[in-house]
Amino acid sequence: MSESADAAAAASTPPTASAKRFIFPRWANYALPAIAVGVLGGLVYVPVAIGLGFSPKALAVGYAPQQPVPYSHALHAGKLGIDCRYCHTTVEKAPFAALPPTQICMNCHTAIHNTSPRLEPIRQSWATGKPMEWVKVHDLPDYVYFNHSAHVNHGVGCASCHGRIDHMDVVEQVAPLSMGWCLDCHRAPENNLRPKDQVTNLAWRPTDHPLAKERNITDVAKAQELVGNELKKQYGIRDQAYMTSCFTCHR
Amino acid sequence: MSQVDHHQSGISYWRGLEQLSDTPQVRELLAQEFPGYDPTSVVADPGRRQFLKIMGASMALAGLTLTGCRRWPQEHLAPYSANPSGHVPGFPEQYATAWELGGVAHGLLVTSYDGRPIKIEGNPSHPSSWTIKGKQGSADAFAQASILEMYDPERSRLVIERTAADKRGKNSDWEKFDEFATVHFGRMKGQGGGFAILSEATSSPSVLDMRKRLLAVFPQAKWYEYEPLTRDAELEASRQAFGKALRPVYGLDKAKVIVSLDADLLGTHPNHVRYAADWSEGRRSGDRGEMNRVYCAETCFSITGTVADVRLAVDPARIDMLARALASKLGVAGVSGQENLSAGEQKFIEAAAGELNASGGSGVVAVGHAAPVAAHVLAFAINQQIGAVGKTVTLIDDPAGDRPTHVAAITGLAKDMAGGKINTLLILGGNPAYDAPLDADFANALGKVAVSIHLATYDDETSRLCKWHLPRAHYLEAWGDGRSWDGTAGVVQPLIEPLFGGKSAIEVLAMLSADKVTAGDQIVRRTWREQFIKGGGNFERQYRKVLEVGFLEGSQSKPVQAQPKVANLPPAEAAAPAGTFFLKFEPDAHVYDGRFANNGWLQETHEPLSKLVWDNAAVMSVKDANTLGIETGDVIKLEGNNRWIEAAAYVLPGQPVGVIGLSLGYGRTAAGPVGDKLGFNGYTMRTSDRPWIVGGVKVSKTGQDYRLVTASLHHLIDRIGMNGREQRVGGKNQTGVIVREASLSEFKKDPSAPHEKTQGRSSLQLFDPLRYNGPHAWGMAVDLNTCIGCNACVVACQAENNIPVVGKDQAFNHREMHWIRIDRYFKGASDDPQIDVIHQPMLCVHCENAPCEQVCPVAATMHDTEGLNVMVYNRCIGTRYCSNNCPYKVRRFNYFDWHAKPPRKSTGVLWPGMPDSQQLDPKSIDPIRRMQFNPEVTVRMRGVMEKCTYCTQRIQRTKIARRNAGEDVRDGDIITACQQACPTQAIVFGDLRDRSSRVVALQNNPRSYDVLGELNTRPRTRHLAKLRNRDEAQSAPSGQAAAEHHAQGPSSSSPSPSQSPTLG
Repeated sequence: MSESADAAAAASTPPTASAKRFIFPRWANYALPAIAVGVLGGLVYVPVAIGLGFSPKALAVGYAPQQPVPYSHALHAGKLGIDCRYCHTTVEKAPFAALPPTQICMNCHTAIHNTSPRLEPIRQSWATGKPMEWVKVHDLPDYVYFNHSAHVNHGVGCASCHGRIDHMDVVEQVAPLSMGWCLDCHRAPENNLRPKDQVTNLAWRPTDHPLAKERNITDVAKAQELVGNELKKQYGIRDQAYMTSCFTCHR
Repeated sequence: MSQVDHHQSGISYWRGLEQLSDTPQVRELLAQEFPGYDPTSVVADPGRRQFLKIMGASMALAGLTLTGCRRWPQEHLAPYSANPSGHVPGFPEQYATAWELGGVAHGLLVTSYDGRPIKIEGNPSHPSSWTIKGKQGSADAFAQASILEMYDPERSRLVIERTAADKRGKNSDWEKFDEFATVHFGRMKGQGGGFAILSEATSSPSVLDMRKRLLAVFPQAKWYEYEPLTRDAELEASRQAFGKALRPVYGLDKAKVIVSLDADLLGTHPNHVRYAADWSEGRRSGDRGEMNRVYCAETCFSITGTVADVRLAVDPARIDMLARALASKLGVAGVSGQENLSAGEQKFIEAAAGELNASGGSGVVAVGHAAPVAAHVLAFAINQQIGAVGKTVTLIDDPAGDRPTHVAAITGLAKDMAGGKINTLLILGGNPAYDAPLDADFANALGKVAVSIHLATYDDETSRLCKWHLPRAHYLEAWGDGRSWDGTAGVVQPLIEPLFGGKSAIEVLAMLSADKVTAGDQIVRRTWREQFIKGGGNFERQYRKVLEVGFLEGSQSKPVQAQPKVANLPPAEAAAPAGTFFLKFEPDAHVYDGRFANNGWLQETHEPLSKLVWDNAAVMSVKDANTLGIETGDVIKLEGNNRWIEAAAYVLPGQPVGVIGLSLGYGRTAAGPVGDKLGFNGYTMRTSDRPWIVGGVKVSKTGQDYRLVTASLHHLIDRIGMNGREQRVGGKNQTGVIVREASLSEFKKDPSAPHEKTQGRSSLQLFDPLRYNGPHAWGMAVDLNTCIGCNACVVACQAENNIPVVGKDQAFNHREMHWIRIDRYFKGASDDPQIDVIHQPMLCVHCENAPCEQVCPVAATMHDTEGLNVMVYNRCIGTRYCSNNCPYKVRRFNYFDWHAKPPRKSTGVLWPGMPDSQQLDPKSIDPIRRMQFNPEVTVRMRGVMEKCTYCTQRIQRTKIARRNAGEDVRDGDIITACQQACPTQAIVFGDLRDRSSRVVALQNNPRSYDVLGELNTRPRTRHLAKLRNRDEAQSAPSGQAAAEHHAQGPSSSSPSPSQSPTLG
């Protein structure tokens, strides 16, 4: 009773000159629904935009920076058929597939194209002893410890992560290299195993394997399943829990 | 309340006097998370506006960090132009080298990663450093931390030329110095009058060779040698006893009885790594019922004292007396002096003498560097008398013994300098303006020298008074050589080109004597060709072999046969006048003699007994402190020798009554931003007549306070935890079950003796136990019986795992980042000088039922398939629940981007001002400092929890290498960093699945137990109880000794306070 009386008293107080009563315009009635739609839309839009726009697939795949020398893998690895390990010598021993020292380039290029202006930086490097500065294409976060030797020695082919390098004039990243992508294979390594002698054969197909040929399997997926499972046993690949343990990649 | 009161008197093991007093303030302190932390220092005005400001800043920063959602900056790869043969990029390599500290070389093995040395370990083949011959080698904390010195951005980079008018000096370079030297020294050729060289102690054959060559060019020049932490009493004694400079080398592995009279064989002795390893050999045999026995009478509480079976705390005047008594008891001719002993001393001497006699030559008597010459002479005689010489004591020629004592050299030189007789002074290393004895007045004398040249690692106190400062190459940057304590000759092999263009001592000597061989490696080769490898044709092959293993095999000095003569013993030392104290100087556990002052790793290790960080202090006994009304942190004034210094007091249980211990090396003024203006400079009280001891010192309170930071109470179980423990374990006063011990005789009778107090444990499981089907199950065993608390493991872990330095202020807030800490527990009455100590290394024990995992909201810490409790940094959101729930308190949180922060600047508005600098700006960590990082371990960022990983990177590296070769991991393949560094093999890591592994044997040892096992955490790391080799029948109640002390003043009169050794 007393409350409403107070309210009435307040309402009946005459407005002062400086504080006129404010009345919202009519369109303000639509403001609330508009804001609601905006917020709800935002709630959908922002995560989707971040999820898609900032995903490794969108950001990393297709990354093909320009290198100081337009070295073509398509020419060297593809047309000339030089084995990956001729240049990336450490891939079977070390965590890193080291880039070749200038010396390796000069093994051939003292004789071939030894005056080509495109190779000038290489000759400079060789003459001065200063290293070439190549741009890193496949770059993992610093808390990930990928080990090339562990993969190469257990039948994971170069092509599984790097794609058909032998078709690339400019190297580009073909896989997202995200944790989810790594785990896809660590959960089911059989999908990417091949004989050790075929690791650097970028054109290898599971249907080429004697096991698949024996049974006349022409379906690639089926052949991979057969070959992969056989090799998984042969290589002694550990179980899924082990393969997806944190320590496998993080230190 | 009565229950709590009961505890006040009854805590059997304790870490600090504060804990023992158990006042409400202390309890509050223990209950606080950051006792030193004042939130208002961050938010000065906790009002609404300030809150909004900080929130606004945080939101803006959050926005900034969104910029992380992009492709990270382009990186470049720079392969070699021409690959060095045999080098595999990205593959760590190890090289053998050596380093010299105080004139004694130590064998090292340095890991290099693509040309950057990143980690220093002991050389497993070198006689000075192997712990398991050929497999494992240990290096002490100093040696390991020296890598940080090499990457210290504050290290001197330039030649500096100073004049009297220009004290700051102008930057110069080696060419200009060479020009100057050519003219200046060219003039002196053939004469050299007034030219003096002051070198630090060195055993390097190349330096000695260059010395000879230099003196041939300048025949009138004089060569002096000075080392502040001098051991010359022993040298003098050998000259008196044998007529020539001989050095005793002890074989502690063969010793059944070790009697130390103030000799810190396991701590500060130059050969301590070898001695600790050998001593531990005689302790591990405790499981077979046999153990060596260590008698230790000492004047400051040392590492050796903490592991002594019978310890006697005495004042410095008694050491000489005890040596005489022991000699006379053992029948050394011409010695008397048993009459003045107190009852406790009598008992100590009788027991020690009896056992030495019975040992059949398997005894060792060692006397400390602070003892007078006579005591050393007697030690030689005693070792001869008991037949130890040739068995456990070997006498060898001192490789650099043909010299006056260090103190005589420096005072003589300073006198000549002050008298104007020296016009050119070359100082090779050292820092005499800071650390020369006071009466030499070196700094002033230096002003009288026309041309003074100082070759030094830092532009330090001495350099600032010299005309020329020359940057010295670090030992990892320059060629050299040296001889270890037993005389083994090794080559100092550099791993990297000098970062800042420094030169080594031999290169400078070659430069000045205009030698035609100027390159360091050529000088060393020449020396080795002339002195060691004389074969001729196959020099190269043999020298390569030396470089490969790091030393010349079989080059240790041959034993010398000599009969000690005891004659003309001076009268026994007088006790200090009543009411006065002895001031005893000690080598410092952080900075050695002051040279490591700018080394953050060492500054932040805990001093083994006081657990002080970033400081030294005047250490005094509980009784003296009570008498004078002094508490830890009070600034006291020490007066003696007509001088005085002020220093903060630290009250240390076990410190002898009447002795103030002060370590040397603090109070630097030109050490660098990390080491300047810390602690108290003991050198300002040091005189040449007795460099280690000042007698008749008066102590008074100044009324000022100084903030000492000690970790002794860090990570302690608080009252709530203690009550919980009582409920679970049952019974009162069960603190003892964290550290366990038994006497050897009890243990022989009943192998479960160390454990009798526990009541077993609950095995109820809240969750299903984890099942493992992996090939390995990693585990660890930590043996308290051999741990000596030397900090080697702490520094090893810091280097291996990229652990940051937090600084004194943050250490005060309990925020130190060490993954492994060594808890030091006292046992007994606090004022008993013969108090017992146990060192317990504590690191993540990798619980099967890990309390941390159960509370992490984001599964950032979890178990892997091999039983490791892993920490996933990139999942961690920093709730710190895990740390809160960890009963072992081994988890460490990154409150800041520590690596990007100078350790001395840590207060103020840090967190709003320093957002994730490591992420936003890769250059925020000094580029030189970054070179030391182990690339196989993530550098953690702000807001992330971290802890011991069992060196998962080492496990992975070994597993991958073995698996690539188609082999299985074998026991001993994987050695964690702490295990590697431990000189006493107290830490053993291995595979619990492999039933034949060492770790399984140790975990099945009857001494092993789970720390806090009653919580059913099921740790993978088990500790092994300590054994003390005491004859219980002889034990004197320690309370009695304490009571005796209450009745007497400090160093009242001769005979000094009767301090009975605790034999139980």
